[in-house]
Amino acid sequence: MIDFDARRDPADGLAAVVALRRLADQVEDSEVARALQDGWTWSLVAEALGVTRQAVHKKHAKRLKALGIETRRR
Amino acid sequence: MFERFSHDAREVVKGAEAEARELGSPAIEAEHLLLALADRVAALPAAGLDHDGVLAALDAERDRSLAAVGVSASGFEPSPLPTKPKFATSAKSALELALREALARGDKRILPGHVLLGVLRPQAGTVPRALQQAGVDRDELRARTEAELDS
Repeated sequence: MIDFDARRDPADGLAAVVALRRLADQVEDSEVARALQDGWTWSLVAEALGVTRQAVHKKHAKRLKALGIETRRR
Repeated sequence: MFERFSHDAREVVKGAEAEARELGSPAIEAEHLLLALADRVAALPAAGLDHDGVLAALDAERDRSLAAVGVSASGFEPSPLPTKPKFATSAKSALELALREALARGDKRILPGHVLLGVLRPQAGTVPRALQQAGVDRDELRARTEAELDS
């Protein structure tokens, strides 16, 4: 649950935005790798993330290749 | 922009890249410079911020920031980063500020101490919050770093 407390110091709220973005990026990196390792296709991962196949491929293909993760073409 | 950087200051920049990679961060941020500086500027361990101390302060800052919106990241381990992290604005800005600090002091070479002064300049963001979390006074740390550069 996200607590939108109006009395919160804006410094804490802004720092939360930074921490959430970084966490979201790291969770995405790790979960995309897991899904593809489990045999998901790029298309299915894209659907799950609500983005295009091109977008998810562009963002993750190089990193996953360097990690030695084999990915399925479709 | 690295022409004026001393060998040790360049090592800090390389070290920051290694720190970002180690932490699974796709971007090199000011806090990764701070981690790389922990073993190279005596003022940091003197303030209780050796490498582990900085890591603990950054963890505490992240947990506190996430807790402000009711989120906990406990148990999440980022996956390793095999690709080259890019310099983020916070790190670029710290390096530019390091250059400015050196010019303002009339120092020809940029040493790790100047990089630390650059990292310590911003008033808001992850680094000042982490320092606050660790009970470290930013101005005092700056003064100690200046003194170290003077000696």
